[in-house]
Amino acid sequence: MAATPTARVPTVNDLRVKLCYICREEESAEDPQQGPARAWTHPCNCTLIAHEQCLLKWIQASQGNAARAPNALKCPQCGTEYEMTSDEPVLLRVMTVSNRILQKLGRYFSVFAAAGVFAVVGTSIYICLTGYGAWALQNFIGKELYDQLLTDDPVNWPWSAWINLPLIPISLILSRFQPTPSVHSLLVPLLIVWPPSPPVGAHAKRIYEYWLSPENANKLPKMRFQRPALWPPPPVAFGLFVVPFIKAFYRIAYRRVYKRVLGTAMPLRTRNGVPPGGLRFNEGPFVIRIRANVEEDNNAPQQGQGRRGGNGQALQPPPPPLIDLDDEPQNNPQNAANAADQPQDPNAEVVEAAEQLIEINASSLGRRVAGALLIPAISNLMGSLLYRLSKHSRFLRAFLGIRRYGSSKGGGVGLGAPPSFWSLNPWGRYGLKREWEEMSPMQVFLNSTKMILATWFGGSTTWMGADPVWWRNCVGFGLFVAAKDALQLLHLWLAKKELESRKVKDKDFAGVDIRELDLLPEFFAGREGLRRVATI
Amino acid sequence: MASIAARRLAKELREIQSEGCPVGITLLQADDFSKWLFTIEVMGDSLYQGEVYTLQFRFDPQYPISSPAVQFVVTDGKQAPIHPHVYSNGHICASILGNEWSPVLSVVAVCVTLQSMLASCKKKERPVDNDRYVRTAPENPKKTLFHYDGKRKALSVSVYANAVRSQTIPQEELTTDV
Repeated sequence: MAATPTARVPTVNDLRVKLCYICREEESAEDPQQGPARAWTHPCNCTLIAHEQCLLKWIQASQGNAARAPNALKCPQCGTEYEMTSDEPVLLRVMTVSNRILQKLGRYFSVFAAAGVFAVVGTSIYICLTGYGAWALQNFIGKELYDQLLTDDPVNWPWSAWINLPLIPISLILSRFQPTPSVHSLLVPLLIVWPPSPPVGAHAKRIYEYWLSPENANKLPKMRFQRPALWPPPPVAFGLFVVPFIKAFYRIAYRRVYKRVLGTAMPLRTRNGVPPGGLRFNEGPFVIRIRANVEEDNNAPQQGQGRRGGNGQALQPPPPPLIDLDDEPQNNPQNAANAADQPQDPNAEVVEAAEQLIEINASSLGRRVAGALLIPAISNLMGSLLYRLSKHSRFLRAFLGIRRYGSSKGGGVGLGAPPSFWSLNPWGRYGLKREWEEMSPMQVFLNSTKMILATWFGGSTTWMGADPVWWRNCVGFGLFVAAKDALQLLHLWLAKKELESRKVKDKDFAGVDIRELDLLPEFFAGREGLRRVATI
Repeated sequence: MASIAARRLAKELREIQSEGCPVGITLLQADDFSKWLFTIEVMGDSLYQGEVYTLQFRFDPQYPISSPAVQFVVTDGKQAPIHPHVYSNGHICASILGNEWSPVLSVVAVCVTLQSMLASCKKKERPVDNDRYVRTAPENPKKTLFHYDGKRKALSVSVYANAVRSQTIPQEELTTDV
């Protein structure tokens, strides 16, 4: 039967055998059909055909899948788009669209809500830090200066205070966790900002008005001829240049005293502040371990090795679960072997053991942090202690630079005290407007540079005019640190002595069966002798 | 409608038994309509010459609307081939098993595609994130969301090639660029 060419284009129903590419079922047009007739469709440009129901199911499934949805309506082989019709009343379209819009809005909301939560938490932390910073500053520089430079009302605070104050508690806490002593804390630079800062608030206004009045302005020339005071030292210069020296010197002195008292050099890990295995804190039911990047001191490798061995052995608390903040390799058996290999100075061993005994009870994260946060209060306490003591000692009074007793109301404006050498009283030397106008540009430049430097290094007039609380607080805190270290050495020394003096009580074999003991023959001879003596 | 999967798989099985598998692919086990096993070997000159791997297909009642879960078997001493798209736990990163699956493909087509994927490999290496993936991978590879960057094109060429073998498509539809 020859196929007659027709002008009609064939459709799916003209096929002899129809094969659905989805369910792979065949339907032959010539054979009788079993079951109900199923609609066929040829939806694209290639030769793939399918049952309409199978194709619809496939489209539905791929539209539901997020990865396949964009391609759901395309033929997998030729890529032609399927054309679909459906009853989609306006109401359905409106609902779908509004559903999508609501979905998007919901997503925006969750993002904003999360951001909002973070912002709230961050802000409250910031407020706490700033509040603490203000309290710490008040303790460091004294109430009088605090009322002039900062005041209790945040409205008066200069913009730099909002950055400086919250950093104070952070720097205090970090300074207790220094891995190497060469990294200096942030605290001193933070505090150095305050001496040069100008007075704020009501006090500033008062100063301004004071000097405006003509009778006070006339006092200015007289001030030029007063002899300035050299002590207390300029705060900024002191903090930047002298404090590091004092720190280094103190550290060397401490090491020497340690060696003298305990008879052995200071162990490596205490020297660096952090044991080689990382910091370890016993917080009751659990242990926190912090791994820091510690540079081992190469001068004493021998001791260092022994240190690590001892460390691994003694500091293994068996029951509590470990919270490792970092991966920790289990190298304890190896360390124990190390400790056994290295010949150890027995004294060093004892000191090591003493330190570890103390360490087990001392290490707690909360203790370090709380200690750090108490530093301003401690220095304030020491300062006021020194203040009270100075009333009885003239040397102390001169050393601390205390010029007057009893709180001053005006503070800083009064002319009773001689101006500090280090602070340039701008009105005192170059204040008068006439002088400024008479100077050549070069002189103006030089003099203004001098003024700026003097204010920076010496501190503002307000600072220098006030009672130098900061100086005695500083000195007091230094004394406190020295006393604390002395106490620590004493503790260590006593612990060492205790370890050395330990003896175990020796008992005789009273309750033990004599037959189980491998005794010397002399013992039996002695017993015979005793019996003979007893019977006499 | 679970029988759609059963009917289709029965049909495919009949075809395999009557026409046989392509070279390098043999049916190991097809006892039920939930799990089938094949061995796959790359013929000719390739990095995997002489190596035989076992491929496992798992079907759910929605096959072929849903794709089968395909992975290399790594139990009983068997290993997955070392290929940039094959993880050491046997999971395969292939677009035809994911968002490019369509009912036009079949079990044999997938085997052939994977065969050509292995054959076209230039360097034997594991995927870059192999260790991390193997540690956190779900048991069923279909649960993983693979990203197919730059791999899609290479696979679609071979899919087209197979489609050519089974049905005719106009010449201009063939793409040759990879």
